[in-house]
Amino acid sequence: MGDKLIRVDMTNLTATVEDYPEDWNLLGGRALSARILLQECDPECDPLGPDNVLVMAPGVLSGTMAPTSGRISIGGKSPLTGGIKEANAGGNPGQDLMKLGYRGIVVKGQPADPEKRYAVEVRKTGIEVVEADDTKGMWNYALIEKLGDTYGKTASFISIGPAGEMRLSGASVACTDADQERRPARQAARGGLGAVMGSKGLKYVMIDAEKAPVRKPADLKAFAGLTKSYTKEFRDGPKANVFKFGTSSVVPVANILNTFPYKNRTEGQSPDVDTLSGARIVESFETRGGGMHNCMTGCIVQCSNIVHDKDGNYKTSALEFETLTLLGANCAIASWEDVADLDRLCDEIGVDTIEMGAAIAVYMDSGGLEWGDAEGAKRILKEIAEGTELGTAIGNGALSIGKKRGHKRIPVAKGQALPAWDPRPLKATGITYCTSPMGGDHTAGLIVNPGLPPEQFAQASQESQLINAACDSSGFCQFLQPTLPEIADFYSQYCGEAVTKEQVADIGWQCLQDEWAFNERAGFTAADDDLPECIREEGVGPGGALKFDVAADVIAQAKASRFSPSDTFWDTKVTG
Amino acid sequence: MPKVSVSPPLRGPTRGEAVVEVAGASVRACLEAVDALHPGFLALVVGPDGAVHNFLKVFLNGEQVESLDGSVAEGDEVEVMAAVGGG
Repeated sequence: MGDKLIRVDMTNLTATVEDYPEDWNLLGGRALSARILLQECDPECDPLGPDNVLVMAPGVLSGTMAPTSGRISIGGKSPLTGGIKEANAGGNPGQDLMKLGYRGIVVKGQPADPEKRYAVEVRKTGIEVVEADDTKGMWNYALIEKLGDTYGKTASFISIGPAGEMRLSGASVACTDADQERRPARQAARGGLGAVMGSKGLKYVMIDAEKAPVRKPADLKAFAGLTKSYTKEFRDGPKANVFKFGTSSVVPVANILNTFPYKNRTEGQSPDVDTLSGARIVESFETRGGGMHNCMTGCIVQCSNIVHDKDGNYKTSALEFETLTLLGANCAIASWEDVADLDRLCDEIGVDTIEMGAAIAVYMDSGGLEWGDAEGAKRILKEIAEGTELGTAIGNGALSIGKKRGHKRIPVAKGQALPAWDPRPLKATGITYCTSPMGGDHTAGLIVNPGLPPEQFAQASQESQLINAACDSSGFCQFLQPTLPEIADFYSQYCGEAVTKEQVADIGWQCLQDEWAFNERAGFTAADDDLPECIREEGVGPGGALKFDVAADVIAQAKASRFSPSDTFWDTKVTG
Repeated sequence: MPKVSVSPPLRGPTRGEAVVEVAGASVRACLEAVDALHPGFLALVVGPDGAVHNFLKVFLNGEQVESLDGSVAEGDEVEVMAAVGGG
């Protein structure tokens, strides 16, 4: 299709464009990132050194008219886990890159002067690496406001906050959303990829697609028809209604299932479930404004909320279930409004809310701060940007602060904090945390089925990991909840030739294979495919009966070899 | 008999069973019948006031129902749905 790949050399401060391989046409997002990293990045390299490779890869369907399909994957070797990492985000940068025909940006090298800051500018007319010292140390919102004045109104941005510049392992990469204000609220948060971007002196990427049209599929009529019918079915069906108020509405369900962790996961339910519930956020829309919106152009899910303060002014977006859990319940912080403040601080500084919530909870659990001290938690987040000893330890994540405090209860997998969904009531999800190349990451393969028979744990985890990898390569948002056959339908009309559901499944499986191979070469072994003692020995639920008690040989099955599809495989919706 | 489809998050009491066939003349009666077979199910679906938890949706033959008192006929499908997702 005449697509291109952008290569940026941060040692020589140059950018070049090359033809995108024809046989990679169905490689996008996470799968593309994995393939490039396996081929071009030394798995044993220093993640913050010049040999790490930073990949920015929109999904295959990004920039097309397919609904909710504009996700962009950020990839590299993670400074947090030491393994391969992919984190993806919504917003518009992925779509804008694809509208210009760029399938990705591959960033290598490192400037000689670590104090210098640079930007990459992507336009129809070409790519440039430019100096950006005047943005050094800027928080994300102020940065984007400044860039909004500098560049055209059609530009979108990928940026880091001070945490990325300080190369902290909890640093995120921000993408601007679809609103007129272009807020840096969509974070590719997990695994410290903001630190990788910062280590390359890259403060931001600007993409100006101007009025470039959406990407033209091979069979426009059929693709448009499919888009229309899929959208109608989604909007008329139960999925739209159930997810109407976004992920924050999940809070009470999670609490009832003992997967709303409280006080550094010592309990599975929080007494503050009512004040942290998404229903309180929805109520606030009435008096303060705010509401639901789409984070990317063409989204039909609209699960992202915009939260206002008491005076009716914008505070943050989106305040999600994971953030309410980790920075709220897990720290015994009871007010959703305090969590909204913490969420905004994380987006500003450019850190992962899950990792920060887990890190602050570990700090509280070790006696560093009183449980529920919201103002103390805000102070600590500000200290990250100030570079204090405590701020740095927290900014480097839960394992970092836990080790510094000599604390034993550190709920991580492969060095990455566990998300809200708890592996004790949800054991198949626990297997995902053990075996996923990503470490503790619910988007890698979430199975919220507490009644799943044990003999199905490994296969359920593998299939969920495969389906989610395929989705994260397509550009579709996980909240659209597509099945593999549905992704195959869109690919077929996009390419103008039949793409089978089996081919889409193969893309997901190959992605996992590439990622596991990278991690093996990075030094990971089967011994790393486990969860910490606190999750195996300390229970939640009635009588503390729910523990992660899955045997090593069962865990190993999830990645040992590919299962034949289960009866439900082709009907399984992506869940993340 | 009517069928009750159980959303994955609510399958703890049913031990993973996705569809339970029960006898019942109303939506509520069907849910109570599932609870009789799988104790603990009803408490997941309705609160102490007898109303469906506001974070769940109940459908009868694909249409969302607000009241559990609606009639259910032979072959009807009652579906209890819970949204899950991280963010």
